[in-house]
Amino acid sequence: MQVFNLYLKILKKHIQQLVIYIIIYLVVAIIMSSSITQEIKAETDIFSRNKREIAFFSAENTPLIDGLKHELEKVANFIDLPDETEALQDALFFRNVSYIVRIPEGFTERFMKGEDVRIEKTVVPLSFSSVYIDMSIDNYLNTARLYLNHYGDISQETLVEFLKSDLSAEAAVELKTTSRRPVSNIYANYFFNYMPYTLLAILILGMSSLLLIFFDVDLRRRNNCAPISTTSFNLQFMLANLLYTLITWLILVLCCILFNFRDSLNINTIYFIINSFVFAVCAFSIGFLTGNLIRSPNAVPAVANVVTFGMCCISGVFVPVELLGDSVIKMASFTPVYWYVKANNHIAGLTRFDFSSVSPVLSSILIQLGFALACFSVALVAGKKRMFQ
Amino acid sequence: MFAQIFINRLKCLLRNRETVFWTVAFPLVLSVFFNLAFSNLDKSETFNPVNVAVVNDENYQNNIFFKAALNEVSKGDDRLFNLMEVTEEEAERLLSSNSIDGYITVGSSLKLIVGKSGINQNIIKSFIDNYLHTFSTVNNILVKNPAGSRALFENLSQRVSYTREVSPSSAAPNNVLNYFYTLIAMACFYGCFWGMREITDIQADLSSLARINTAPVHKMKAFIYSLCASLLIHLVEMAILLSFLRFVLNVDFGSRTGYVILTVILGSIAGLSFGAFVSALVKKSEGFKIGIMIGATMIGSFLAGMMYQNMKYIVAKKVPLLSYLNPVNLLTDAFYCLYYYDTLKRYAINMGLLTIFIIVFWTGTYLVIRRRKYASI
Repeated sequence: MQVFNLYLKILKKHIQQLVIYIIIYLVVAIIMSSSITQEIKAETDIFSRNKREIAFFSAENTPLIDGLKHELEKVANFIDLPDETEALQDALFFRNVSYIVRIPEGFTERFMKGEDVRIEKTVVPLSFSSVYIDMSIDNYLNTARLYLNHYGDISQETLVEFLKSDLSAEAAVELKTTSRRPVSNIYANYFFNYMPYTLLAILILGMSSLLLIFFDVDLRRRNNCAPISTTSFNLQFMLANLLYTLITWLILVLCCILFNFRDSLNINTIYFIINSFVFAVCAFSIGFLTGNLIRSPNAVPAVANVVTFGMCCISGVFVPVELLGDSVIKMASFTPVYWYVKANNHIAGLTRFDFSSVSPVLSSILIQLGFALACFSVALVAGKKRMFQ
Repeated sequence: MFAQIFINRLKCLLRNRETVFWTVAFPLVLSVFFNLAFSNLDKSETFNPVNVAVVNDENYQNNIFFKAALNEVSKGDDRLFNLMEVTEEEAERLLSSNSIDGYITVGSSLKLIVGKSGINQNIIKSFIDNYLHTFSTVNNILVKNPAGSRALFENLSQRVSYTREVSPSSAAPNNVLNYFYTLIAMACFYGCFWGMREITDIQADLSSLARINTAPVHKMKAFIYSLCASLLIHLVEMAILLSFLRFVLNVDFGSRTGYVILTVILGSIAGLSFGAFVSALVKKSEGFKIGIMIGATMIGSFLAGMMYQNMKYIVAKKVPLLSYLNPVNLLTDAFYCLYYYDTLKRYAINMGLLTIFIIVFWTGTYLVIRRRKYASI
């Protein structure tokens, strides 16, 4: 097993660099997964609505506005801010508040007369929170308008009483899961979604560096003189590559389970692991391909970073797939990362594991295997070509 | 002497294709990917209908108002729901295979059954809540004014938005910009590769190029001259990146162009000094040094919000000190301040802190590389 041992020896020389990368990527993945998990849990919990921080300024004090403020209390915490431009800009900039409501002078009077009036809002763009506040305000005022238009004569006080009782109704919600304890897969979903970033980078970096060394013309010629058959040489070499892939993958998976132990003991995790293993195989063949195409050791980190970042950027690793444009998604579907992320997102929502529920995952996995096979074949052709140079 | 060292150094550095790649090509490539990924983020989001089922039993058929309301929002191109009317067993099966986000049962009261909490589940719940509110309102009105039912029902669907967005400053807040600003900050800090080259090439224990030390020039002078060459190259690269962002990808930098350029210059100097500092301090292989520099810059950029924007606000809220100790974040904030604030106060604070970093890095570098003697025989 000289070739195998040699591989490991060279790997050992590079280990410092590789460990730096693993640590960086892990730190990023862990911080990101846990903070996104917290955020999503808080933002979307259907049972206890997370209250948003808002600032409320009103140029007038009327029963209607008081009622609105009470209604908003259901979804928001009011933060006291001085009414100065810079203080408000700062508050929005640092997200101390995500929404500023400003009721203009004469709003109530004009509203009661049925005129077209608006409340001024200043929001942090692209946040769910602003949607809830918008909904709350619109609900309140639209309902008020119905009373004004159709109830006949109505005083502000009666109107506010009606609104209060109308808007207190709430739908009953029941959570139904097959397991005893509701399981959250958000953390695992995000952690596994970030895995391609780490896995691809590490595998391309490591494997390409090693391939370059092994296929250096002079070294290869010398190795060819050795009394060892090409088959054995190649087998040992591939075996070492596979071992490297396996270890990297194992470290990442173990980290995920370790940091998320409480929510890891379920069937979803097994599917996550299977999917990530298939992706690891895919990453292995991509690493093998780039290793066969690159000619200079200096180009290795460059290619590794561009390929990794590019694929992850357009395939829904950093930006959720739902937010990507259609043309970008079409492009992304030509990368295995897209199918990997797609399978993960589906697995996260599974609570039943019969064939029809799991089949979308399986087809994504098959597509990844297809990519792996394709890259591997191209790599073999490229490698062969290189042999005869 | 300046001209000679400067020009030769320029040639020398430009032949180092690897460094040129990291400092200019890589940020350019990243900016293209960013543009692809975020191009949709600022536009009005395309809404995908929520898959929802309702248990089709007697209660549901009898509750004509709810049935009508549900069907109303489930038709047309901009519908809210993809509605399925199924039996309870079927609904349960659909829910557990993740084909629907939740299902509704109509008993004595309306009930929503979900498998997990999420945005879509909240949308369904909001719809039901809304229905209940409106139902109660309609009841109250019809009790008082039964004749007006027709006009009332016509009025029901005409919902008006009662809010109007006002920008907090002369510039509209924009979330995507921050991603590009972190990218520029990262590119500035990738100037560390040039800084590293400078140290490597002047320290005799790091490279053979350091024979320049034997020339009859003061080491400090030789170092500063060649540093000027590095800085020039990096500034030209940053100019390319900025023009690409501004004119090809249409990234908005606000109206204060002069300050933007000043920020980039200071940022580039900070990047160079950072590389020099790491390179002088860490006595390991070049690969290791590059690893540290890329790592530090990546983590800095990550904490400044390059991969996940809210990270920046999480840091600002939970560990405010860290957002001032992260030079990449200082630089990102400086750009955003120029775009967003009407005053320059916060910008000045950021730039001041960045200057302190530069001074610390250079002083550290100076103390390490000065008066080094080697006895290598």
